[in-house]
Amino acid sequence: MSTIARDPLGTGRVPVAPGLSMFDPMFVGIDEFGEHVMLDVVYHNLLIAGEPGGGKSGLVNLAAGTSALADNTRLVLFDAKWVELGAYIDVADEFIGDEIDKAISVLRRLLTVAHNRYRWILSQRRRKVRREDLLSTIVTIIDELAMFTTVLGTPEQQKEFEQLLRGLVSLGRACGMPVIAATQRTSWDIIPASLRDLFGYRCAFHCTTNGSSDVILGDGHADMGYDASKINPDNPGEALLRAGKRAPYLIKAAYLSDEQIYNIADYAAWMRRPSGITTPAPPITTAWEMAA
Amino acid sequence: MSKSTRGFGFGRRPGTVTVIEQKVLRSSARNARMAFIITALIVGILALTVASDRMHPILAGLLALPIAFVAGLFIWTLVRIWPVLRMLWWWTPEIGAAMALVYGWIALANATSTLVTFAVLVPLVGIPAVVPVIRRRVIALVWCFIVRHRLRVCFSQFIIANKSGSLPLILWARPTPVGERVWVYLRPGLSLKKLQDRLDEIAVTCHADSALVELASNSGKAAYLRFDIKRREVLTAKVSSPLPDVIDIDGMPFAYTPPTDVPAALDLPDVPAESPVATAAKSATSTNGKKPANAKPAPAADTNDFDPWD
Ligand SMILES: Nc1ncnc2c1ncn2[C@@H]1O[C@H](COP(=O)(O)OP(=O)(O)OP(=O)(O)O)[C@@H](O)[C@H]1O
Ligand SMILES: [Mg+2]
Repeated sequence: MSTIARDPLGTGRVPVAPGLSMFDPMFVGIDEFGEHVMLDVVYHNLLIAGEPGGGKSGLVNLAAGTSALADNTRLVLFDAKWVELGAYIDVADEFIGDEIDKAISVLRRLLTVAHNRYRWILSQRRRKVRREDLLSTIVTIIDELAMFTTVLGTPEQQKEFEQLLRGLVSLGRACGMPVIAATQRTSWDIIPASLRDLFGYRCAFHCTTNGSSDVILGDGHADMGYDASKINPDNPGEALLRAGKRAPYLIKAAYLSDEQIYNIADYAAWMRRPSGITTPAPPITTAWEMAA
Repeated sequence: MSKSTRGFGFGRRPGTVTVIEQKVLRSSARNARMAFIITALIVGILALTVASDRMHPILAGLLALPIAFVAGLFIWTLVRIWPVLRMLWWWTPEIGAAMALVYGWIALANATSTLVTFAVLVPLVGIPAVVPVIRRRVIALVWCFIVRHRLRVCFSQFIIANKSGSLPLILWARPTPVGERVWVYLRPGLSLKKLQDRLDEIAVTCHADSALVELASNSGKAAYLRFDIKRREVLTAKVSSPLPDVIDIDGMPFAYTPPTDVPAALDLPDVPAESPVATAAKSATSTNGKKPANAKPAPAADTNDFDPWD
């Protein structure tokens, strides 16, 4: 379980305990007071947006790294750029580069799983999955959402992709299948409000206009002073996070270097080696206990 | 500070009092008198009831009278000196530290020779001064004490301006990476809204960049607030993730072997002009396997800042 050891003057330690689970809050960075920002991604989904170079892929990689190391978690990665999430290609159950056909078929499969899970949850006489159900968490991560909805494939395929994604985002929340999506372009044709509002957590890195900031954070937020176009563009990783009931607040995302990302990915691949599902070997567990 | 308000009495309901020195003194005297009468009355009756069980009622009355008087006097004194007590409480850490310093110094100087005194003092003062981590921690703690006093100054200013109200209880403070965080329990006269409107004044009084106040608990007790005093910027710092610390790559029998199907045509002249049609046909027939490289003749074109729409 998670405990936060607060060090008044450092960033201190964050909970990464043995048997990290996606049901534990995920560490994404610090807020403007240096406090840890922890997101409960499984039940909320996460939408990330901002102009190129803002640090979206950094945050996406953090989520991918956490999911890769988490127990009983499957990864489905969409990355039209190949390099952003490519490190996790051996860890992921599905990795979709720039093939829209495959993207659509994988989304269909995910939706079927989601439907089946709800039928199963119904049979358990409940309304959402819990950690104790021991169902795997299937984390879907999409870097550059706009590539799939506006660039790759035919307009019909793009439309179908969008529809399926909307289905997954709205269904996945309560059955342990969260979606984390990032997009450069923040406009209504990429992220219509109906899709945006399905994401419980929204994170806006530097945007070019206050209009595009509103597209992510919600209408009228720029007028209320929550304007991602005012974020310092020379400080990548700074973002406005809208999470829960609290008003959007500034955070600085944690950052993994390329070397760290590949180390994590290699380690996760090795740890998951037998079946593609995480069963940490005994010596690793002790190493984790020491580290934690 | 003592001229601000009457403090919270022991078990008595605090009232609101106008905050002008004359009036405060007068009301303090009146309160003390009231406290004396009420305490004396209650204690007297109680003592009378208990004592009359054992002895003659007149004897009991004679006994109850001095008891009531003493109890009343005690409460009266307490109420009268309350401002002083409150001030002592506010300054307890500082008074304690000063006493410790003076007595420690004297004791040390008396017990040892000058040389030893210095031998003890130099590391005691020197190490915190030289080691940055300890120094920062000490400074941060000192700021916590300062901020509690500065906040109190703010509050008394506010309630003076309001003409009525009671000083909030300043609970505890702790350093944060950007400054300090202080928990406060409000009393009648101030509210979250009022304080939020005057954050700039609070920041000025606390010698800070900015200040922020919000409800301390999610359950939302309106009086229980948390102040964040900000003196430094952390958002420009580089934040590292804990993930690399939990992995142990040394014990991992893993060696990277680059794939063999990496495309070689990495420059524009390497890709002949008629090639796009051919590759397009090829990618149309290729399966959806994890072999992007073959289908993409020029990955150099989409390395950084790939914005097809811009
Ligand atoms: N949290 C961070 N802390 C410090 N630096 C960061 C952070 N995030 C990103 N950066 C820096 O910013 C650069 C660009 O980040 P990143 O690739 O994540 O941007 P992006 O928003 O994904 O851009 P694009 O839209 O082009 O994909 C990184 O190479 C890194 O140097
Ligand atoms: Mg990116």
